Amino acid sequence: MSEKVIVEVGDLTKHYGKITALDGVSFSVNEGEIFGLLGPNGAGKTTLMEIMCGLRRFDKGNVSVHGFDLRKAPYKVRSSIGFCPQETLLYDLLSVYENFAFSASLYSLKSSKFKERVEFSSKFLGVGEFLRRRVKELSGGMKRRANLAASIIHDPPIVILDEPTVGFDPNIKREFWELIRELKGYGKTMLISTHDMYEADELCDRVAIMDKGKVVALDKPHVLKETIGGEPSIHVTVKNVGKEKALKALEKYHCVLRDNEIKIFTQNPWEIMHEVSSKLIAQKILTEKIEVVEPTLEDVFIKLTGRKLTEESQ
Amino acid sequence: MNSIIGIAVKDIKQFFRERGTIFWTIAFPVLILLLFTAIFGRTIPFNANVGIVNEDIQTPVTEGIISGLNNTGFLNVKNFADRTEALRELNATNIRAVIIIPQNFTQNLTTIGHANITLVLDNTNLDVARLIRDGVKTYLAYYYKTYVNPSYTEPIGINEEPVFGQEIGYSESIVPGMLTYPLLFSSMVASTGAIVYEREKGTLKKIRASPIRPINMLIGKTLAALFQTAISILIMAVLAAVLLGPKLNWNIPLLIPIFFLGSMNGIALGLIISCIGRSPQEASNAATTIAIVLQFFVGMYFPLEYLPTYLQQFSQFIPMTYAAQSLRNVMIRNATLADLAWPLATLTLSAIALYAVGILLYKRWVEKE
Repeated sequence: MSEKVIVEVGDLTKHYGKITALDGVSFSVNEGEIFGLLGPNGAGKTTLMEIMCGLRRFDKGNVSVHGFDLRKAPYKVRSSIGFCPQETLLYDLLSVYENFAFSASLYSLKSSKFKERVEFSSKFLGVGEFLRRRVKELSGGMKRRANLAASIIHDPPIVILDEPTVGFDPNIKREFWELIRELKGYGKTMLISTHDMYEADELCDRVAIMDKGKVVALDKPHVLKETIGGEPSIHVTVKNVGKEKALKALEKYHCVLRDNEIKIFTQNPWEIMHEVSSKLIAQKILTEKIEVVEPTLEDVFIKLTGRKLTEESQ
Repeated sequence: MNSIIGIAVKDIKQFFRERGTIFWTIAFPVLILLLFTAIFGRTIPFNANVGIVNEDIQTPVTEGIISGLNNTGFLNVKNFADRTEALRELNATNIRAVIIIPQNFTQNLTTIGHANITLVLDNTNLDVARLIRDGVKTYLAYYYKTYVNPSYTEPIGINEEPVFGQEIGYSESIVPGMLTYPLLFSSMVASTGAIVYEREKGTLKKIRASPIRPINMLIGKTLAALFQTAISILIMAVLAAVLLGPKLNWNIPLLIPIFFLGSMNGIALGLIISCIGRSPQEASNAATTIAIVLQFFVGMYFPLEYLPTYLQQFSQFIPMTYAAQSLRNVMIRNATLADLAWPLATLTLSAIALYAVGILLYKRWVEKE
């Protein structure tokens, strides 16, 4: 991964009537990195991505992609990007190959390059087995792979993926993550929006946390967790009837009850783990689970915004 | 709630939430009713332009006939000094018939009690020709009985001269009108559907995120719609030729530009509708309503003469009227390229103007997103 900046967004602002969708968003993406936009629904991630792809206008700021200014050279910016939105944008009655041919035509791809790219997609994304089948005959997973392949058929240096694994089951999600990592191996710069903290943590080299149209934090996931997420904490799950009793038993600690789980924040969780367990046993409180949990990006988000990632932003 | 009722209630609620759909649902019966009232709600639901040439000397009889014909209410009579000029106008389709009062008409009528007039009729539309023929004949009988001699029933005869050599039957009359149908319906529906489909399916997002320019996108859509329209025209032409066997002039080099320009107008109109329509249903309702209403104005097989004068004038602003007229002129009248200069120029200009509007609306719609 180089330090060369390939995407630069500065003070980007967008309003929908009275609603501020983007409020002075600024960040840069380095060539070859997987950059994540993490935030709840309504944080402005999709608006930001759609602006970058030329699908929406913006009120203020600047966007530069692959050395091209979005306002001055929108068509060159679009040529540099492969956009893969949440929904599958393929034509059901056409075969996968025909969909690829159509996508290639949008970018005026030469036939030799097209053949090369189809071969790449067949091998790399495994679409070869269903290349001649109509899209309507494909399974959901096949469609997603074909959709990704169609969006990068013109071999763009930058790939923008809007919530790429939303609705996937865990296994397919992991497979897709692997594909994205492999794409990075081919030198692609990836910009991914997600509200899945694990996805951001697993995949992204750097993450911009967005809320209410603003970037509230930006760094490598582990740095965000270490600097903002706080210390590891002890999570205790007790039988429902013992919740109040447990809170009383553990009152000497800094406890917070969230989602039926008691979280104990302390500097040395490993050291007091035994003590916590003994106190609960002494009070005959039935414990389902007691564990030390490292901070997650969710914790980072909660610390920054006071809300969970699953809550709507606006 | 019963599932059948549930589905019906949901659909009705959805209907009332789409203002555009409500508008076109109301507009359709209103427009049709207004149109039919304007056409058939009149005492004399017919208005044709005819020319009259008086080769006789000016007498009270000839003057009476001319002013009487003018006052019938169904003929707009234009006076010509000689028959050459009148026939030129007839050939240019500006008038539908020429009534010629020959020399010695008054003298024959008053001395021998019988005289003939000559009626040169444009037979390309049999309904119009029949109405003019019957109308003139009825009026002349009425005139003689009222003003000259009540005892004679039909002292004024009509020598009819068809303006075109061939006998024109219903097949010949109807086929050019039928071939206008794809220009109006297929082209509009194809282009409206093309954009609406992309919007509905979300695939327009993919196209817009690519470096393709809006004009190229519209041209691509136009080519596909042209192809679909061409298929409709071809099928209709072949079936009409086989099933009806009309004796028509299938002048392909002249018909192709008419079909092409007519389709381009229809497609451009469809593009405009698809950009204005906020939902597929609204766009579809709008396209259907506009196409159905327009068919009465373009003279496809509903003669323009059935329209009141002001609506006939309005029809001259509809490009498809020129396409229908040109098809009729080529296929029935053996018109040449020179004869088609004006309608083809009109169709070209209107297609360019409609396209310009379509592109502007498309760009505005895209920018509004």
